[in-house]
Amino acid sequence: MSEVRKRRFVVARFDPDRDAEPRTQTYEVPCQPDWKVLDALNYIKDELDSTLSHRWSCRMAVCGSCGMNVDGKPTLTCKQAVEGYGDQVEIEPLSNFPVIRDLVVELEGFLEKLQHVKPWIVRAKELAVEAGPVRQSPEELELFTQFSYCINCMLCYAACPVVANEPEFLGPAAIALGHRYNIDSRDEGAHERNEIFRGEGTIFSCSYANECSEVCPKHVDPAAAINQAKFNAVIDWATSLVLPRGGR
Amino acid sequence: MARPAHPHAMAASKPGRTRTAPPRMPPEFPMRGRYRAYTLFDATGLVYLLLGLLALRLAWALGDGEAAWSAAMAGFRNPLYLAFHALALVSVLFVGVRFFRLFPKAQPPKLGPLEPPPAPVILGGLYGAWIAVTLLLGAILAGGIF
Amino acid sequence: MKHLLLRLEPVVWLLFGQGILIGTILLTAWVLVVGLLVPLGWVPADALAYQRAHRLAANPIGRLVLLAIAALPLWKGAHHLRALAIDFGGAQRDTLVAPLLYGVAAVGSLLAIAAVLRI
Repeated sequence: MSEVRKRRFVVARFDPDRDAEPRTQTYEVPCQPDWKVLDALNYIKDELDSTLSHRWSCRMAVCGSCGMNVDGKPTLTCKQAVEGYGDQVEIEPLSNFPVIRDLVVELEGFLEKLQHVKPWIVRAKELAVEAGPVRQSPEELELFTQFSYCINCMLCYAACPVVANEPEFLGPAAIALGHRYNIDSRDEGAHERNEIFRGEGTIFSCSYANECSEVCPKHVDPAAAINQAKFNAVIDWATSLVLPRGGR
Repeated sequence: MARPAHPHAMAASKPGRTRTAPPRMPPEFPMRGRYRAYTLFDATGLVYLLLGLLALRLAWALGDGEAAWSAAMAGFRNPLYLAFHALALVSVLFVGVRFFRLFPKAQPPKLGPLEPPPAPVILGGLYGAWIAVTLLLGAILAGGIF
Repeated sequence: MKHLLLRLEPVVWLLFGQGILIGTILLTAWVLVVGLLVPLGWVPADALAYQRAHRLAANPIGRLVLLAIAALPLWKGAHHLRALAIDFGGAQRDTLVAPLLYGVAAVGSLLAIAAVLRI
């Protein structure tokens, strides 16, 4: 039977009522060999320090709540085994986000960017229910399926150097989801989204770091989506020069 | 401590009810982990800018006449220029490999009825063109053809 | 200025993309031969003596290739240096840095057109 291993967890702490700036606190945690990083954090909260605040929910890498920087890398803590780490593990809130408290970051900025791209089927005119179901072939479905796997965990935002420095940049997940709808055969909102992409969304600010795709726990490959979206946005721009009212 | 990010990075449009700690950049930025290759990739912009300007200078000298051209070509024998061009060659290869790796997945999945060819075909085409043009242009410049 | 930059972004991105793609493909042989092999004497210098160089560059294809080599890399360079500046906290300076860099690329491209036309 495998050994329990004691590890030191150096955890970022920040209480806006007491701390001028973030500090760290170190905890000794006896880690079971099959634990994920989240298990260690929950041990700290349950047994060592109930004042620690961190987000988590499903424990199975579907809800996207438990993203944090572990040893400097954006990680889904319910998915990441503790076993691969050394004697000391550093846990910080996700990079590039304002920190509300301890390991909890401000989500609102992301939710606003997401809403901005209208991540839903946009139709010029809604179909009547009597018209029956909209048909979509397996090939049409396959075009966008990968990009629909996003769980909004925001690890990609934590990894992106452009998100860090350009507040208006829509960011990987929002662009990937906007693109997902643009290439969905049922959608008719591509022109509107492309105008947002080319405008305040500044998707051309993406500078091919590819870090978003490297850290994505669901293999969405947002870098692919963003760069496909750039191409489509240029074509949309070119066609709207020729046809002033835009494609569709 | 990681570098500070933009003070408004990922900020909400309205302030929250409590004070927040400012956002910080990924700790490995700029030169640790995979960020090193990324930062160097951006830094090759300087090499490309200088290469373009040097080619411009040569083109201008070619129009000025034999004396200007010979002087410009002779200048390239300076060890500083040689070192720069050696660095430039490495940079150009680095940029090509990194960019070609990204290229297939950056193609839109469908343009009307057209689909892009599979990734290995695209990569084969890109590398094939790179090698073919390098050999052809190299042979021309080095006096082997024409 | 910011609005102007946003509106020009698709064009800049296309030029930057060709700067990387066509620029890299052409620059490899150019840097190798013109920058290293000829100056080092590993390829005879008369390969790029004035008469031959002029003859190669004076035909339409030669002019086009030389134009591509002189102009396209400027756009890749400008775009990436701008990105680098922003990555190191330069978002506020961008309305100064971007026009400066793209200005260099634009002026350089115009001069490149003039240069190949006067050969």
